[in-house]
Amino acid sequence: MQIQKPVFLLFLVCTVIFTSAQTDSVQKKKNSIITGGTVGISYEHYGLSRTPSGWTGFLPRKPWNQVRFMFSPNIQLGRHISMPVNFNFATTPTNFAGPYAGIDKQSFSQFITNPMNNFALNPKYKWAELLLGTQYLNYSDLSTGDIGVFGAGFDLRPGTYRIKFFTGLSQQSVNFFTGPPATTGAYKRRNWMFSLGKAQDDKYELSLNFVKAKDDSSSANPPPLTIKPQEGFTTSVSAKALFKDGWYAKAEGAQSIYTKDLLLPLDSTKAAFLPFIDGHASTVRDFAGDASVGRKSKNFDIGVKLKYIGAGFQTPGYPFMLPDRFDYTLNTRFNAWKNKDGIYKMNVVASAGQRVNNVSNNTLKAKQFIGNLNWFTQFSDHFSLNINFNNFGFQAPGGINPYGIKNVSNDFGINPSYSWSNEKMAHLLSLSYNYSKYDERDVISGNITSNNTHMALLTYVPTFLTKSLSPDFSLMYFTNKLPSLKFTLVTVSGGISMPAMKKKMNLRTQVQYNYSKTNSYKNNSNIIASFNSDWRITNKLTWTTFISTNRFKYGNEIVPNYASYLESNVRTGFQYRFEK
Amino acid sequence: MKKLFFTSILICATAAGFTQLTTTLVVAPQPPASLISWTQRDLNFIVVNQSGATRQVKIKTELKTTDGTIVGSTNLAKARIVIVGFGNDIFSIEDVFSPVLMQFTGKVKTSLDKTGKLPADNYQLCVKLVTPTDFVPISEEKCRNFTIAALQLAIPVMPANETTLKPEAAQSVITFRWTPVAPQPSSPVTYRLLVFEVLDKQTPMQALRSNLPLLQKEVTGITQYIWQPQLAMLTSGETDSKATQPIKRTFIWTLQCLDSKGQPLGDGNINGDGISEPAIFYVGKYTN
Repeated sequence: MQIQKPVFLLFLVCTVIFTSAQTDSVQKKKNSIITGGTVGISYEHYGLSRTPSGWTGFLPRKPWNQVRFMFSPNIQLGRHISMPVNFNFATTPTNFAGPYAGIDKQSFSQFITNPMNNFALNPKYKWAELLLGTQYLNYSDLSTGDIGVFGAGFDLRPGTYRIKFFTGLSQQSVNFFTGPPATTGAYKRRNWMFSLGKAQDDKYELSLNFVKAKDDSSSANPPPLTIKPQEGFTTSVSAKALFKDGWYAKAEGAQSIYTKDLLLPLDSTKAAFLPFIDGHASTVRDFAGDASVGRKSKNFDIGVKLKYIGAGFQTPGYPFMLPDRFDYTLNTRFNAWKNKDGIYKMNVVASAGQRVNNVSNNTLKAKQFIGNLNWFTQFSDHFSLNINFNNFGFQAPGGINPYGIKNVSNDFGINPSYSWSNEKMAHLLSLSYNYSKYDERDVISGNITSNNTHMALLTYVPTFLTKSLSPDFSLMYFTNKLPSLKFTLVTVSGGISMPAMKKKMNLRTQVQYNYSKTNSYKNNSNIIASFNSDWRITNKLTWTTFISTNRFKYGNEIVPNYASYLESNVRTGFQYRFEK
Repeated sequence: MKKLFFTSILICATAAGFTQLTTTLVVAPQPPASLISWTQRDLNFIVVNQSGATRQVKIKTELKTTDGTIVGSTNLAKARIVIVGFGNDIFSIEDVFSPVLMQFTGKVKTSLDKTGKLPADNYQLCVKLVTPTDFVPISEEKCRNFTIAALQLAIPVMPANETTLKPEAAQSVITFRWTPVAPQPSSPVTYRLLVFEVLDKQTPMQALRSNLPLLQKEVTGITQYIWQPQLAMLTSGETDSKATQPIKRTFIWTLQCLDSKGQPLGDGNINGDGISEPAIFYVGKYTN
C-alpha cells in the first residue's frame, strides 16, 4: 500500500486532537459514551552510522522511521451494550520472521492482515459478544492461541454454556520475489475455529474445540519455492475442575490431521475427517495431551504437569509448537518462618522436571533435565538474602557421530541486600553474585569443554527524603572463560530521576559505560546515554519522549580493526486516556 | 528344444535391452526425513538410452532396510509411463520416490501416516526400469544407501521461558543457551539467534512475526551466546504514562537452525523455516 506519509500523519494527529476534544465534551455529559481506553500516536526515528563506511558488521535494529497509531476506547451505549475498540497499527512494515518476512510495499489486504497491525471491534450485549477484525483467540493449549486472525465471529455465554466461532484470514498471499528485498512468499490462509462448552466460574470448564486452516494454493503468483500449501484440522477436548481447599485438575486431549502439501493428490487411504478435511498423499494424523493436578493456597502450592506432543501433531493455531516430546514437571512454592507479626520471612519456589525429545524414536531419544530453586529470606527489616540455583542437562545419542551429545549447565546465584536510613536519606545496597558452569561434550572427539561465567553486580540506590532527586548507581564485573577464550566486561552505570513542572513532568537520565576485552585483543568500549521525559499535560493527556544514543568502538578483535558504530533513537508520543 | 530356444531368445533380448538402457542413481547420504521435503538435491535417476529409439517404461523403486527387508515399493499400477528418448533423461522425486506412488509397510507406514517422516534408520533405495504392461525389468537395478537422522531443532533453555532478569545486569549482558540440534549432523549447524522486543499492545508471537530483531547473530557449532544488548533497560522508553518508571520489558527469543549450506533445517515442520519454539523473558524490577 502506497501510504502518503505526510497526509497520513496529518490525519492521525487531527484524529488524536479531535478525539480528545470530543471526548472531553462528551464525558461532561451524564451518560458517557466512551468510558475508558486510550488513543495515542507515536513517532520513532532510528539512526545508525558505521565506521569505516561500507562496513556492515552491525545491522540496524529498528526501522529508520516508524509511526504507530493506537485507538482503543471502550464505547458504552446504555447499560448493556459495550464496544471495546482496538485499532493499533504502524505505517512501515518490519516483518522479519513469518509469512510477511521481507515485505516492502504492502497491498491494502496485506496491511490489514499483517500481524503488526490490529483492527478489532468487540461489540457486546449482555452475554453475547461479536468479534470483528483482528482477534487473537485462545481456545486451549493444544488447539489455537498464538495466531491472529482477521475476520468475524462470536462468543456467546448464555448461563453456563459457551459457544464460540470465528473465521477469517490469518495471512494474505505474498508473492515470491527474489528481491531485493527477498520475500519467501506465502499462500493466503483462511482459518475457522469453533468451541462448544460449559463452564462455571471457579468451579469447572469443559469444552470441545475445532480448529481448521486451509491455504489457497492458487493465491500466490509466483508461488513460494520452499513452502507448500497446507491444510490442518485439530479437534480437542479440554476440561478443568477446581475443588475444595485449592485443589485443581486440568486435562486436554487433541487429535490433529494435517496435510503438508495440498498439491499432492487425494488419497483415500490417508486420515480424513469429512466434511472438514480430506486425506491427501501428504496427510498425517497424530495426538497430543496434557494434564496437570495440584493444590494452590496462600502459603503452599504444589503441582504436577505432564505434556505429550506426538511426532506428527501439528496445529495451525500454534505453528511453532515443538512436536515429538514428553515433558513432566513438579512445581512447588511455600512460605515459612513467621516473624512476631505473623508475616512469613521465607519464600521458596522450586521446580524439577524432564523433557524427552524424539519420543517416537527408540534409538535417538534425547533427554533434558531441568531444575530450579529460588529461596528468599528476609532476615530483618534491613537485611534480605536471595539464593537461586538452576540446572539443566541435555543428553542425546550420537547418531552418526562417535559420541553422543551431553551438555550440563549449573547456575548458582546469591543476592544479599542491605538497607538503612536516617532522617534525611534512605540507602539500599545490593550485591549479586552469579556463577555459571556450562559443560559441552564434543561429539567427534569426546572432549568436554567447560565454559565458566562469573558475574558480580553491586547496586547502590540512595533516596533523599527531603529532596526530589532519585539517583542510582551500579557496577558490574562479568567474565566468561573457555579453554581458548577469556571475555571480560566491566560496566559502570548511573541514573537520576526527578520531577519538574510542579510534578507534572518526570525526567530520567542514565549513562552507562562498558569496557570489554577478549583475550589479548585491545579492548572494546561502549557508552550509552538515554533521556526520558513524561509530561502530564492534562490529567488525561500525556506526552512522552525517549532519546538514546549508543556508541560502540571495537578494539582489534574484528576486521576492520577499530570499527565503530553510533546508534540514535528518538521516540515521542502523545497518549490520551479516556478514563475519568 | 523349442522351449530352450525361446528362453535363450528372451535372455538375449533382455540382456540387449539392459545394455541399451544404462542408469545412474544419485541419493544424498542424509536426505530429509520428511518425504515431501525431498528435492532434486536429494535424489536423481539418470537414464541413458543408447538404443536409438524411444522406449516406454515405468520406474520401479524399492526401499529396503539394512537387512534387506523391503519396506516400500512403487505401486506400478499407478505409476505413469515415461518415455525415454535417445540420449539422457533425468528423473526426480515425482517419478522415482513420490509419496503418491510408493506403498509402505510395517513401522515405516505407521510413521509416515503419523508424521510424514521416515523413521530414523539406515536404508537402501533400489531403482530399475520395467516394461509398462507386464513390469519385466529392462535395466540393471541401481541401489544407494542413505541415513535418516530425524533431526530435532534447538530448544531455548536460558533465559528460561517466562523468567525475569534484573535490569541492572541485563542492560550489560544476557547469556543465551540452547540445546543443540539432535542428533548432531556430520557438518556443523549454524544457529541464528533472534531476539525481539514485545512492544506495547503486542502479543509475543505478534512481535516475533512482525518486528525487526534487536539481535540477529549467527554462531556455528556452539550453543551459547553472550549478548551485550546496549539498551537502556532502566529507562523504559515506552510511550505510556509510567514511562520514567523501570517497568517490565518483554522479549521473545528463538533460534533458526541452518545447515552448512545456509538452508533451514526445519525438516517437515509447518513453517519449514528451521525456527524453534520461542521462549519469552522479561527484564524488570521483579525477579522470580
